[in-house]
Amino acid sequence: MIRFSPLLMLSLILGSSTTWADNGELIISGWGGAYEQAQTISYFQQFEEEHDVRIKIRPYNGGIGPLDFLEHPGDPGWDVLDMTESDSLAACNERLLKEFDKSVLISAPDGTAATKDFFNGAIFKCGVAHVSYADVIAYDERAFPNVKPNSVADFFDIERFPGKRALPRRPIAILEWAMLSYNVPVSQIYDLLSTERGFKLVSKRLNQLKGNIVWWEQGHEPVDLLSNGEVVMASGFNGRFDDARVNHDIPISIIPDGQFVQLSVWGIHRQAQRPDLAAQFIAFATRTDRMAALSNLLSYGPTRKSALDRIHHYAGTMPLITDNYSNAELGINRRIRADSHWYSVTESIRHQWFDEWLSSTGE
Amino acid sequence: MKRINIKTDLYSVPTTILLLAIVGVGIGVVVSLLAIAFYEAFNWLNKEFLIDPHERIQLVNRPLLLSLATVGVPAVGGLLVGFIIYYFVSARRPLGPSDTILLVQTRGTPQPFGSSIASTFAAVLSLGCGASVGHYGPLVYLGTLVGSLVSALKLKIPNLQAICIASGVAAAISVAFNAPIAGMVFAHEVILRHFSVKAFAPTTVAAAIGFIFANVIFDRPPLFLVVFEGVQYSYEFILFAVIGILGALLAVGYAKGILLCQSYASRSGIPEVFRPMVAGLILGMVALQFPEVLGVGQESLRFATIGGAFELGELTILIVAKIFVTILCLGFGFAGGVFGPILLIGILCGALFGGILDQLQIFGHSGVVPYAICGMMAAATPVIGAPLAMILIVFELTRNYDLTTAAMVAVVFSNLLASRMFGRSLFDVQLASRGFDLSLGRVNALISYGSVTEIMRTEYPIFRTHDKIGKVAYQLAHIGRTAGVVVGPNERPVGVVHVRDCTGRPPTTSLKDVMNPETMRFSQNTNVGQALEAFRQSDYEVAPIVSAKTQKLLGIVYESDVISKYREIADRIRQEEHDPI
Repeated sequence: MIRFSPLLMLSLILGSSTTWADNGELIISGWGGAYEQAQTISYFQQFEEEHDVRIKIRPYNGGIGPLDFLEHPGDPGWDVLDMTESDSLAACNERLLKEFDKSVLISAPDGTAATKDFFNGAIFKCGVAHVSYADVIAYDERAFPNVKPNSVADFFDIERFPGKRALPRRPIAILEWAMLSYNVPVSQIYDLLSTERGFKLVSKRLNQLKGNIVWWEQGHEPVDLLSNGEVVMASGFNGRFDDARVNHDIPISIIPDGQFVQLSVWGIHRQAQRPDLAAQFIAFATRTDRMAALSNLLSYGPTRKSALDRIHHYAGTMPLITDNYSNAELGINRRIRADSHWYSVTESIRHQWFDEWLSSTGE
Repeated sequence: MKRINIKTDLYSVPTTILLLAIVGVGIGVVVSLLAIAFYEAFNWLNKEFLIDPHERIQLVNRPLLLSLATVGVPAVGGLLVGFIIYYFVSARRPLGPSDTILLVQTRGTPQPFGSSIASTFAAVLSLGCGASVGHYGPLVYLGTLVGSLVSALKLKIPNLQAICIASGVAAAISVAFNAPIAGMVFAHEVILRHFSVKAFAPTTVAAAIGFIFANVIFDRPPLFLVVFEGVQYSYEFILFAVIGILGALLAVGYAKGILLCQSYASRSGIPEVFRPMVAGLILGMVALQFPEVLGVGQESLRFATIGGAFELGELTILIVAKIFVTILCLGFGFAGGVFGPILLIGILCGALFGGILDQLQIFGHSGVVPYAICGMMAAATPVIGAPLAMILIVFELTRNYDLTTAAMVAVVFSNLLASRMFGRSLFDVQLASRGFDLSLGRVNALISYGSVTEIMRTEYPIFRTHDKIGKVAYQLAHIGRTAGVVVGPNERPVGVVHVRDCTGRPPTTSLKDVMNPETMRFSQNTNVGQALEAFRQSDYEVAPIVSAKTQKLLGIVYESDVISKYREIADRIRQEEHDPI
């Protein structure tokens, strides 16, 4: 069991008492909560020390709307962005991100070239994936003392498992889960979601939850909502739930069925003030030792092999993009690898559907 | 007497086995790769031409472009298909499994290579443009094409053409359904029409290769995957049988609809080249309202196994629309198969049946899945006439014993009824209309297929009415015959003479006094089977064959010639079915 909070406290105290030779400021997006804490320890503090810069964490909760400075005049924006794979692709398509120069990536300690060391599919046109994580469904153990929910279908089953559900106010993962609840095979989810009928089926499932949904905006909220008893089930990031259970003894269980595995991708904003420093930061943060350091604090999977070799056994879940997803096609403990291409091309239609659904139900 | 003497001992047994295995592997590899390329090609066209739902959903905010593509693509595609079929396929119709069956059964000459390629290309284009036709027929034909090319290698193995084509077909079906056992059985059940040791090995090898390519190397997605936990109530098997009967009615209606539409199309006055375009245009209009009718309909197939995916009303309308456009597309000359659409129509009908049970709530049932699958199999089996292969397809696709048993019940009842009402398959009915009637059995079908002119004699003594019978008897004895044909003026036959008619009469008797003014004459249009039957019912030992147009004598045929032909065919069939390797 890993406890990093005291360490974090110590480092924060040290950090705040240090006076930096001011080499400028790098603005990086932050997701808050345990994830941001782990990033601070693994990446930010050391980078500040090594490069004599100040890192400013500016909150970011996904989507590509906030990146468009034309729509947000006077906005300081971000230099470096930590985005979901699909957001990163969409932002790249919209030319909101700079093209990523993969030559900045640092080789593995044994000399293996970075491009060989990263797993297939981890390096993108406008960025590089640095962790794999999963959207999962977790429940409050106190709410279900007898029969426990154990499948995605149970999430939608208000009769057997009454109580409120926390969901992100975004059309993501819930689409796939609705399909899984109909027993759609994992490999066919995106085919069926590409039809109007697919969306209708998702709406039908969501309608079953009507009046029982608590929407969340920021990644740390699901844990809070579960721990203070506001909801009985919540969707959220696996690392946060693991952290709550392992490090804070909060009675939360993750349903192993329906893990929705995605990548987090570093990218540099097209209008970044300090693009060179931003590239240096990404090279630093994706170094083998830094990547391993983060995965040793939080159950998010690394994206390069040399980092995976340096991780001790972790008590929680750790989704990896190298896992074989076709094995979990049917039955229990299904896992879905997010189809980021589908996400990037359906950006507007998903939101359109979601907004229509929200307004139709008055949510 | 001339008999085809098939040598079976050209090679030692191990050499033959090795050769057959190599043939199986070679055909398996080539057909698998081509079949996968075929899939990729029409899927790519589907994407480019905005037929694929993945592409269509991105355009919901551009309805004008979407509507234009929906109507324009099938129409323009239809025009191109019509053009290709009319100018590049010598038969002037798309080639398919019925051509394969005919080729294998008659050991005929394959369709010209260029025609086969053009027909296959037209099928890719039809499917790519969203025509409501199947892709299994063209795939079977692709297997045929490769098989007949390989059989041209002259490996001196008896019956090589049939074996090669069956292997090609087995590989194609194996790739199409990820179902090697079904592929092997389909080749025997539909193409070869018998089980023989010699064909078994290469078809099985080819089917296995197809499976390896589709499943292991290219990791192609299965047609559908279902979750089914078993039939919960025993009385449901009665319902599966009911679905079988309904499926048979559906299949017969579908098959007859296609035939009717084909004959309507040829009477309609629309030039052949433009018929597919007309069908495409109407298809596009229907698709504006029901986009699900476009193309293969993979997504609808999968939705059908999801309870509640369709409202019963919309499901009914969708079924009617899909049947309509499919019959239209196939009748009006789009290139493609009959099997794919009926799979979809069947599964939707099965889902409708399950949905109605759900609404009635009279008794419990095991969900929509078994009904959908039973509906699919019950409707599709009679169309292609392959009950065994269908049962195996369910088994290999679902790997679910309960579901296979349920489907088996439906398939059996469907097949029983439909074969009574319609025939063994749409292919067989099509072939029967082209003069090759397999419902008579393989031997009789072959006899009835060949024209009597194939065994006609063109060198024979010509007798005139004024000839003396002494001379006639002498001439007949000289050539070892007991009968001959008497020819009148204008070279038209006027009678036949038998030696038995001449005995006991003076040799100077005029021929016209003893001859039988013949009542039996054949033409080019007479087939050997008809000739055999005519001889059987008369005393004549010889018959003239005349030109149907001019009535002039073309040649003659002896009863013994017809009987030899019959024996030759019967021997061939026996050898095919019973020869060891």
